[in-house]
Amino acid sequence: MMSNLFLHPALPLLVGSTLIFIVKTKVNIISIVSLIISFIFLLLLPIGSNTDFILESMNLKIISSTKLSFLFCLVFLILGIVGKIFSIYQKSISEKSLVLLYIASAVGVIFSGDFIVLYIFWEMMAISSTLVIWSSSSPSAMKSGQRYLLVHLIGGLILLVGILGMYSETQNLAIRILQLDEWYTWFVLLGLLLNAGAPPFSQWVADSYPEGSYSSTVFLSAYTTKTAVFVLMSTFAGTKLLIMVGIYMIMYGIIYALLENDIRRILSYSIVNQVGFMIVGIGIGSELALNGTASHAFTHIIYKGLLLMSAGSVIFMTGKRKCTDVGGLYKTMPLTATCGIIGAFAISAFPLTSGFISKSMILEASYYANFEIVWLFLLIGSAGVFLHAGIKFPWFVFFHRDKKIDTSDPPVFMKTAMVTLSFLCIFLGIFPSHLYSILPFDNSYIPYTANHVVSQLHLLVFSGLAFFMSLKYLERTLTITLDIDWIYRNKLIFLDNLYEQINKTVSNLGRIIWSSFSKLRLEYIENVLLNQATITVMMTIILFIFATILLLNV
Amino acid sequence: MKTRKNIIYSLVIITSLMPYLYVFYDFGKIKFSIDHYVGFYPIFGFIACLLLIIIAKLIGVFLKREDTFYDE
Repeated sequence: MMSNLFLHPALPLLVGSTLIFIVKTKVNIISIVSLIISFIFLLLLPIGSNTDFILESMNLKIISSTKLSFLFCLVFLILGIVGKIFSIYQKSISEKSLVLLYIASAVGVIFSGDFIVLYIFWEMMAISSTLVIWSSSSPSAMKSGQRYLLVHLIGGLILLVGILGMYSETQNLAIRILQLDEWYTWFVLLGLLLNAGAPPFSQWVADSYPEGSYSSTVFLSAYTTKTAVFVLMSTFAGTKLLIMVGIYMIMYGIIYALLENDIRRILSYSIVNQVGFMIVGIGIGSELALNGTASHAFTHIIYKGLLLMSAGSVIFMTGKRKCTDVGGLYKTMPLTATCGIIGAFAISAFPLTSGFISKSMILEASYYANFEIVWLFLLIGSAGVFLHAGIKFPWFVFFHRDKKIDTSDPPVFMKTAMVTLSFLCIFLGIFPSHLYSILPFDNSYIPYTANHVVSQLHLLVFSGLAFFMSLKYLERTLTITLDIDWIYRNKLIFLDNLYEQINKTVSNLGRIIWSSFSKLRLEYIENVLLNQATITVMMTIILFIFATILLLNV
Repeated sequence: MKTRKNIIYSLVIITSLMPYLYVFYDFGKIKFSIDHYVGFYPIFGFIACLLLIIIAKLIGVFLKREDTFYDE
C-alpha cells in the first residue's frame, strides 16, 4: 500500500510551501493550487486506508484514514483555500509559505496512525505556527511568539514523556482510546489539553493569536486547537474529567471576553469558549456527543474564520485593533458588517445558521447521559456566547459610538472570501443533512423541531436584553486583564531574570575566553547570539533533533 | 446614539412578542425535565447573562490593569 503514501493530503502543501520559498513569485497561485491538489488527494484517498512506512525496524503509520479524519481534513482545506483567497493582498512571502507548512503539519497530525508520527507533526505544527506569528514582524508579535513557543515546547515535552512512557510500558504506540489508570496517560492527556487551550494555560490563545497579521490570525485560529480536539476525540473519548475541564473553558472564555478591549482578543477568548463545548462533548463520549463535537468543530472553524476575517478587514482598512478606537463602521463597511453579523449569529447558534445544528447535539447528549447539571452549565454557556461574541463583537465594532472613521469595504478578494464563508454558515444551517452525512457515527438527530427553535430564540433574545440593559457597565476601557501568564511575563521578571542570568554568565565566560580576540566579536555574541529569540529558536531546534533521535532509537 | 435607541426600541418590541412563540411549543414533547415551566428559557437566559456580567465585573476589579502594563 505504498502508493497511498503519495496521496497524503499534506504532501502537496509541503511541496507548495517549499516552492514558494524557492521561486518567490506567483505565491498566491502556488498556494491555492497546492491546496486544491491536496483537496483532490483527500477525495481520492479511500476512507479506512492504512499506509505504513517501514523505516529499518520501525513501522510508522503515516496514513490512517477514518471518517473523522476525512471530516477534519475537509474543513481544514476549505478554510485553507478561502483563507488564502482572503490573504491575497498580504505581501509577506514568508507568511504565505509558513501558513502552508502549518496547514500541512495539522493535516499530518489528523492522518497519523501512531504516536510517533503524531509527535513529529505536532512539533512541526508548534514551530510553524510560531513562525507564522513571527512573520508579522511587529515587536509585540516577536515577544508573544516567544511566549507561545515556550508554552508549546513545554506541552510537547509533556506529550513526549507520555509517549515514551507508553512505549516502555506497553510497546504499543497505535492511537487508541486510553484510560486514565496509568501514569503515562496523564502526561499524554496534559500534553494534548495544553494545545486545546485548557486550564490553567488557556491564556496563550488570546495572547498570541491576535498578534499575527490581519490575515494569519484567520489560519492560526483554526488548526492548533482543533487538531487537539481531533486527537482527544480519538484517544480520550468518554473521560469524565474532560467535562469539568470543558465547563471551565466555557466560563473562562466568556468572562475574559467580556472584560477585553482588543477586537481579535475577544474572538480568541471565544475560541477557548467554543473548544470548551467540544471538550465537554468528548468527555460525555456517547455517539451523539462525539457527532456533536465533530460537527461543532466543523462549523466552528468556518464561522470563526468568518469572524476573524471581518475583524481582519477592519484592521486592514482602518489600522485600528481596539474596540475603543472603532465604532459605527456599518455605514462605511456595510458588507464587512453584514458578514460579521452572520458569523456572530452563527456562533450564537441562531436558527438557520450553522451553530444551531451542531452545538445543540452536545447539549442534548449531555442530557441523555444524565448530566443535568452539565446541561444547565452548557445552557449558561450558550447564553454567554451570544453575550460576548454574538452581540459584543458586532456592537462595539460596527455600531455603538460612531467614530467617523473614513474608510470603505476591503478589496474584492477579501470580500469574496467573507461572502463564501457567510454562505457556508447559512447553507449548513438550512441543509444540515450535508454535514450529518459525513459524521463519524450514524446520525438521526433532528435540529429543527418547533420546541428547539422556540426555546433557542427565547434564550438568545432575553440574553440580548440583558446585554443592552447593562450596556453602561460593559463600556470598553483601555485595559487588559491579568492572567496566569503574569507569572512569566516581564512584570514579574521571573523569566527575564533567568534570561539575564544566562546572558551574564555566558557573556562573562565569553569575556574570559574571547578577551584575547577583538572587541567586535564580543559584541556580536552579546547582540546576536544571546538575544532571547535566538535562544528560543536554538532550544527548539535542539529539542526537535533530540526528540527525533530518541524516537528513532526506542 | 440614534442607532442605540432604535435597537433598544426594536428589542423591546421583539421581546414583548416572544411569549407568543409558545403557540408553536409542544409541551407534550419536552425533552428535558425543567423546561415544561413556561418562561424557563427566557428567564434562565436573562439571569444567566446578568450573573455572568456581574462575575466578570467583580473579577475585573481585581485583575484589570492599564493596557500598557506589560510594555515597560
